[in-house]
Amino acid sequence: MTTRRPNPFTGPRSAMTRRQLLMRAGALGAAGMTLPAFLAACGSDGGSGASATTPGTTPGTTPGTTPGGGGAGGSLFFENWPSYIDPTEDGATGTVDRFKEATGIDMRYTEAYNDNNEYFAKIQPLLGRGEPIDPDIIAPTSWLANRLIRLEWLDKLPLDQVPNAANLRADLQNPAWDPTGEYSLPWQTGFAGIAYNSDATGREITSVDDLFDPEFAGKVGALTEMRDTIGVIAMSLGIDISTLTTFDEAKPAFDKLQEAKDSGQIRRFHGNDYFDDLSNGNLAITIGWSGDVAAIARDNPAVKFVFPESGATSWADTMVLPKGAKNVAQAAEWMNFVYDPVQAAQITAWVGYVSPVDGVQDEVAKLDPDLANDPLVFPDDATLANTQGFAPLAEDVEAEYDAAFSAITGA
Amino acid sequence: MSSAVVRWGVRRPEMLGLGALLLAGGLLAAVGTRLLTGPLAVLALGTVFASIVALVVVATMGTPETRRKIAPYGLLKPGMLWLALFYLAPLFTLLRLSLSTLPSRFAVEANFDWNFDNYVTAFTDFGPQFQRAFMYSGIATILTIAIGYPLAYVIAFRGGKFRNLLLGLVVIPFFTSYLIRTIAWRSILSDNGIATGMIGKFRLTWMLETMGMMDNGRLINTPAAVIFGLTYNFLPFMILPIYVSLEKVDVRLVDAAKDLYSTSTSAFRKVVVPLSLPGVFAGTLLTFIPAAGDFVNALYLGSPNTTMIGNSIQDQFLVQNNVPLASAMSFVLMLIITVFVIIYSRFFGTEDLA
Repeated sequence: MTTRRPNPFTGPRSAMTRRQLLMRAGALGAAGMTLPAFLAACGSDGGSGASATTPGTTPGTTPGTTPGGGGAGGSLFFENWPSYIDPTEDGATGTVDRFKEATGIDMRYTEAYNDNNEYFAKIQPLLGRGEPIDPDIIAPTSWLANRLIRLEWLDKLPLDQVPNAANLRADLQNPAWDPTGEYSLPWQTGFAGIAYNSDATGREITSVDDLFDPEFAGKVGALTEMRDTIGVIAMSLGIDISTLTTFDEAKPAFDKLQEAKDSGQIRRFHGNDYFDDLSNGNLAITIGWSGDVAAIARDNPAVKFVFPESGATSWADTMVLPKGAKNVAQAAEWMNFVYDPVQAAQITAWVGYVSPVDGVQDEVAKLDPDLANDPLVFPDDATLANTQGFAPLAEDVEAEYDAAFSAITGA
Repeated sequence: MSSAVVRWGVRRPEMLGLGALLLAGGLLAAVGTRLLTGPLAVLALGTVFASIVALVVVATMGTPETRRKIAPYGLLKPGMLWLALFYLAPLFTLLRLSLSTLPSRFAVEANFDWNFDNYVTAFTDFGPQFQRAFMYSGIATILTIAIGYPLAYVIAFRGGKFRNLLLGLVVIPFFTSYLIRTIAWRSILSDNGIATGMIGKFRLTWMLETMGMMDNGRLINTPAAVIFGLTYNFLPFMILPIYVSLEKVDVRLVDAAKDLYSTSTSAFRKVVVPLSLPGVFAGTLLTFIPAAGDFVNALYLGSPNTTMIGNSIQDQFLVQNNVPLASAMSFVLMLIITVFVIIYSRFFGTEDLA
């Protein structure tokens, strides 16, 4: 896929009925049906055009093009995870406001992206029918970005308008989830490892085995993000998670988690909402995300993050354009803005995650020398060598993983 | 033309009313389930509208006899149409979905193909969650009666001029969102929170552990916490109907019982309790049914070992994207609840409600 594909959802209206279109759009999403086949199917119906339009799109909005607001300015809507950007506070101007000021673009930034699966369920009815969603940029984690790419629910990024994309870290170029690198730019990256409260554990933690120590029964948590929880456990069992292709390869990790859940070792599975529990000792030890823990540790030094000896999972949250995003030129400006190391450093200094942008460490050193030496934010090569990303899973394999995981989380 | 309608209506106005009612309800439900789409749907909606207009015409221009006979159907119409569109149509859609298959995991539309496997899976894979849902909500319902009945009794018979104030206090928690109240209990019940601290201070930990209300020194993330949350959240729904039925009880009936040499206890047992049963019955329905499908309490106060069927349905809808299975599970839940309610109303129901 080196050339831009024509958008099957634009073009002249054909005589195809809504139901037929939906069925075909569904079949298209079912993977295996390629674009030419889709177009052929449309054509064989005797429709007036070779492609179908999307019922329900309002006239005047042409997906994939950039009407903008006419020249400079225009608007932009970015839906991101909570607490994931520096806000305007304490006399400092947040990145969104700096961007608005610099470009005159009327940017709307929301934090309604709370959970990958929930957000997918929210956008599926629209994108699945080829109808656009409101946000121009959304922030799926890499595995979900991969799913969206496979479902063809994303537009390609206008990378020619994002010169700063050249600052992308070398190890994130053409990643496994987006082999051509045309659909996503990472927003932040980080690690899932072990987070613990040393007051509650009474000792320092180094290994994943401590999660299963009966001493902490009922005070252990784990993430609802399957790839992080299973990934960390699987790595402790010597499984290479970056090459998984079948369910059986990871089964020992599921079995181990199941056993811990059945015995009451695990208190709860949590998403972003474990800060309080970890800080007040309800959870002594859990699988957590590096940047979060750095933020909690500022208030409660007893809370610590550790790369387990067996290794941590690495992940990336990305910026992607959902199919039919209206303000593409503005989105390009935004991506260019946040890929400027000077701007990216401001975000890193606030969120404490690993920036995907090269040159941020030098800029952060000017702002906060301690942070520039923080191995959680700027990990050294030895640490990076001990992290793995979860392999992209085929649709049916992913379904097996998800079903097994949700059977354990009890839902 | 209207005179023709009226003349016909004089003979069988109730048939005209009933016919218009069923026609309009059926058409609206058909539009709601997308059985009728496009121009047909427009036609159907037009017919519904015309039937309303016709009813009004007949009701205003008909003879007194016609108007009297047609009035009940006219009054039924708004409620019937509402139910047809917002209850019958979704119910039918759910039923259809529960017998469908997704062509692929992330497909938007499921194909209807009489796929009963969804029901098999719902029964075989989610047995523990169904059991927990009915056990937790059953215990919570009994607890709300145990707590709510005396409270309603006191307000109704001893409340005096403070009755309204006391009732207001019962309702006050509703001023705060259900979610926030439930999440607030997390910090109250947390390991280092007030409740655990008090229990530790009075050395009750051992006792509560033996009773199964605490687990390893913690209150939260246990079955007891989930049942407690359900009890707390649904208590007002039990108190209010019981209060209403107790308030209607004539105190002189108790005096009369005592005049006939009844003790206070047997007067309460034989006079007050039977008269308040409709309230208990209504309260039980209002508590048990939503509690059985609740997922919020298990989500925030429970652990992975206390999930209820509501959590599973939510997970299937929102995480697994398995809408047909989730629909089948919802239907099974509805059926079980319906059976429970029918049995319950046979044994405890009163003429007022059953």
